[in-house]
Amino acid sequence: MAASHRLAGVGLGVHRLAKAVALLFALVVWQLARAAGLPDYILGPIEIAQHFTGALASQELYAHIGASLARALPGFALGTLAGIALGLTAGVSRGVDQTVRPLIFLSYPVPKIVLLPLFMLWFGIGDVSKILIIALACFYPTFINAYYGAKATPTILVWSGLNMGAGRWRIFFNVVVPSAAPLIFAGMRVSLALSFIVMFATEMINARSGLGHLIRDAENSLRFDLMYVSLLSIAILGYLGDRLLRFAGGRLLSWHAEAA
Amino acid sequence: MSWLRPLALVGALALAWELAARSGLWSLLIFPSLTSIARELGQFVVRPERLMEAWISLYRALGGFALAAVAGVLLGVLMGRSRLIAGLLDPLFSGTYAVPKIALFPIFIFVFGIGSLSKVALVFLECLYPIVIMTYHGARDVNRVLLWSGRNMGASRAQVMRRIVLPATAPYIFAGFRVALPVALIVVVITEMVSSADGLGYAAIYALASLKTDRMLAVVIVIAALGLALDQALVALRNRLIYWETLETYYV
Repeated sequence: MAASHRLAGVGLGVHRLAKAVALLFALVVWQLARAAGLPDYILGPIEIAQHFTGALASQELYAHIGASLARALPGFALGTLAGIALGLTAGVSRGVDQTVRPLIFLSYPVPKIVLLPLFMLWFGIGDVSKILIIALACFYPTFINAYYGAKATPTILVWSGLNMGAGRWRIFFNVVVPSAAPLIFAGMRVSLALSFIVMFATEMINARSGLGHLIRDAENSLRFDLMYVSLLSIAILGYLGDRLLRFAGGRLLSWHAEAA
Repeated sequence: MSWLRPLALVGALALAWELAARSGLWSLLIFPSLTSIARELGQFVVRPERLMEAWISLYRALGGFALAAVAGVLLGVLMGRSRLIAGLLDPLFSGTYAVPKIALFPIFIFVFGIGSLSKVALVFLECLYPIVIMTYHGARDVNRVLLWSGRNMGASRAQVMRRIVLPATAPYIFAGFRVALPVALIVVVITEMVSSADGLGYAAIYALASLKTDRMLAVVIVIAALGLALDQALVALRNRLIYWETLETYYV
């Protein structure tokens, strides 16, 4: 038993090593190609790392990151909260289900970003229109997952709860919500990725700050170094956000096997 | 019967909109009346250059989607059937999954030019992820008993692939397509809003800039209808091809 464990550990180590070697190999090929002569707008990994560390030392990048997060995170919070609340309600109430769900399912494949011009007209070109469009985009995945999660609550658990004298609200909060939680969480992961995409898109379309604005500004002034700094920042933010959410989910849903 | 309530809700919303438009509380620039939106919508049918904008967006979205479908299914099946390829490519796809690919657009403009190619390339990249990941999961989890029986009864590798792996993976492939197709339309609209001189995304931004709110809303309706029609067409195709398994949940 112990021997097989040790062997599995060695296998995992070799696996990690192979991955690291493959990554290193790709970076070296990229750097060599850059040295052999790529166009100006494709920088090598060493140059990108230099520019990025340089930008990290200045205050400007943090201001852009802060402006971007101040749009993405409130939008994400607003959209997922509304999606979870309405999705769970539609999952347990037949009236809400039949009235609201067909419309939401029908409008699901519609790109929500097309409403940005209208939102700009209604709520101004500032942050409100951006936050609301991000919230709208985040609403859909959580609504759908919360709805299916609530629908998939094992009937036997609800019956047992009723039998043991639990009221409607207790069943909702102690049975339906926990049983829908893993699916809701999967929906939140999709929503978080969406919030970053929509945030970046709205900032590229019109903004005076944020990572999307930084990359457009750099593009217009042919500052390729700044373009890569913005690109790398949003990539790291997206990756870290997903990791953080998965970590939090693993902690909260530790009783559920698949969540982590 | 089941459509009665949602229809009533839509009717109430439309009525509220029309009342808001006619109340005089807000400018018609903010709440254009439904009749003027309908008139602008009619222009889409009558005037060929409007239809052209829709066609340009559609062909960018479908072009990138089709390329991603071919490459994604190929990569996904290879990853699902070969541990080596999965070991190489899975870290790449799962590691960059949460990264917004839209940020590459400015660099794509320099690489592929400001025309359709940079947009199609970005659509391809964004659509590739869901298709590869879903196909990979489907191809990896093909029932082993079926594979063993096939080999045992003398099927060649190609036959196993065509008769067992592909049909077993097909529902997953279509689930990936279903995620990717709306993404294709989203990316096209965004890229056209950011930098373009044609297409529906550009038409919407241009209408806003010239304070033609009714025209802008007509464009929004056309884009919405396009997204809906593409999704419904995909579901119809899926149910025809995968007749042995009905689509249970509406969305995966």
